[in-house]
Amino acid sequence: MSTIIFKDTKKNLEALKKKGTYRYAVDSDVPIDTKLAYVTADKKQFIYRIIISSVEPYTESTELLEKKKTDLKSVLAVERVDSIDPIPLSEFRKSKKRLKEFSDFETVELPTIKMVEKATYVDTLSPGITEIMAIASAKKLELSVSVAEKLAHYKEKLSPENFSKLLDRIGVDLDTKKIDPHEAVGIIAAQSIGEPGTQMTMRTFHFAGVREMNVTLGLPRLIEIVDARRIPSTPSMTVYLKPEFEESEEVVMNVVKELENTTILDVADIITDITEMTLTIKPENNKMKERLVNNSDLLDALAKMKGITVLSDKESKEIIVKPQQESFKRLYQVQEQLKVQTIKGIPGIKRAIARIDQATSKWILYTQGSNLKEVLEIDEIDANRTYTNDIIEIAQVLGIEAARNSIFNEALRTLSEQGLEVDQRHLMLVADMMTFGGSVRAVGRQGISGRKSSVLARAAFEITTKHLLRAGLLGEVDPLTGVAENIIVGQPITLGTGAVNLVYRLNKK
Amino acid sequence: MGKFNVLQHDLVPEHHLVPKKEEDKVLNELGIAKDLLPKISRSDPAIKALEEIHGPIESGTIIKIVRKSPTLGYSVYYRAITSEVFK
Repeated sequence: MSTIIFKDTKKNLEALKKKGTYRYAVDSDVPIDTKLAYVTADKKQFIYRIIISSVEPYTESTELLEKKKTDLKSVLAVERVDSIDPIPLSEFRKSKKRLKEFSDFETVELPTIKMVEKATYVDTLSPGITEIMAIASAKKLELSVSVAEKLAHYKEKLSPENFSKLLDRIGVDLDTKKIDPHEAVGIIAAQSIGEPGTQMTMRTFHFAGVREMNVTLGLPRLIEIVDARRIPSTPSMTVYLKPEFEESEEVVMNVVKELENTTILDVADIITDITEMTLTIKPENNKMKERLVNNSDLLDALAKMKGITVLSDKESKEIIVKPQQESFKRLYQVQEQLKVQTIKGIPGIKRAIARIDQATSKWILYTQGSNLKEVLEIDEIDANRTYTNDIIEIAQVLGIEAARNSIFNEALRTLSEQGLEVDQRHLMLVADMMTFGGSVRAVGRQGISGRKSSVLARAAFEITTKHLLRAGLLGEVDPLTGVAENIIVGQPITLGTGAVNLVYRLNKK
Repeated sequence: MGKFNVLQHDLVPEHHLVPKKEEDKVLNELGIAKDLLPKISRSDPAIKALEEIHGPIESGTIIKIVRKSPTLGYSVYYRAITSEVFK
């Protein structure tokens, strides 16, 4: 069974969609066993899927829709046409390689990854531990796995009776350590992160480097995480290789080449000649060598660009480019396009550095710049371990739960790198709060504090007049359930003992 | 749609669908109404991956998330699917 992709106009497809089951004539030789076709209108995003029942050679007939007037070769018996969520071109593969470009028609393979759920962690625990956890949960005790592991040792030594007593004692201890209901955990978390934060300001406001690469650390990084910035100031990825390639230097260097995004400006000078209306590209040999690019790569990259004529042949060193339309505006546009034209690599990745991990003597790649989605599609890398420090990107590619884990990990790492010990539970609370609504939200005016339901609480935080005026216009009601609003009106706050209401029932008994 | 299974990534915890029958039990245990649960978008990559396994998932379905926790070993969290799509 084969799958095809082709380019067509939206108008044609909408007409075909209305017809339902119909026949459609196309201008290319479609393999007989084709069952699926994906259609794009702009050569980038595929927005229609056609389910095909059979393919015949073209014969003239009135009972069919034609893609073009001339050159028709095959007729697709269409079962139905669906509009689908846009699929980018790179999702399709041809002879196991990702498609990067395509002409009007192509036979492709669909990715055949089978989706499976993650193995259940609880099942991986040893039976001894699950047994202890079961006994504990029968006593309404929430034991942690590490405590259960320690208890396994005692379970063998003690009689069931004594073991039960031991668990009861642990239960009493755990109860005293639990946080009280209506305790202001948020405030405690804020103080616990804030206090060591002050020490950070004094000690570091600098960068600390991984060889030639800079990664923001310390307070600026912590602020970045909590503010949920769209793009961090130093986006960086950690790329792991599949176990079989981890020790091969050759593969590592190839992956580095595949990763690093090299533009024309990286390896050559671009000179504008206004009198001749041409642009001259002067390749610099040492830069070309460093980036592992040769002249034909450069010409290939130029061939992808539209609206230009390349005037020089393969032999000459300099390449002269002339815009097809002669105007200064166009000349300027072409120059700007040339500067960012990619020769190879993944957009967004400025540099990739391979390092051997001293402890395990395995290669790990670090990149400057981040593009998680495309890096995960490289065949040699271990997609399950590779990650980026751009939290918003993680939320988009891996989902909100991965973003929560990533906020927690990044914040914890930033603090512990400075030698500051903050209890992990505080950071978990912050991470949970930031991802509560299904997207990553900043702490502060734009995020969590700005979305409180109470007007008075919002007004007490920032931009007082805006919130009060808006509430007045819309007639908002404040039920006074929070803390800030109760302080404003002078009532006991709804925390701790203030959160408990006593009701006296007169008629009881 | 993808060549990479999001659910297998180290950063992504286990996502499980909670069957309709068990929803009340879960909500009772938590003592909370469904609309007060934390949210997860319908367009979330993890939900899309679950849809490929289980077929279309309605919004309002509760997702049980089992996280690895450095303090407890593992911890259970619930999110309800919203139709909201975040950019």
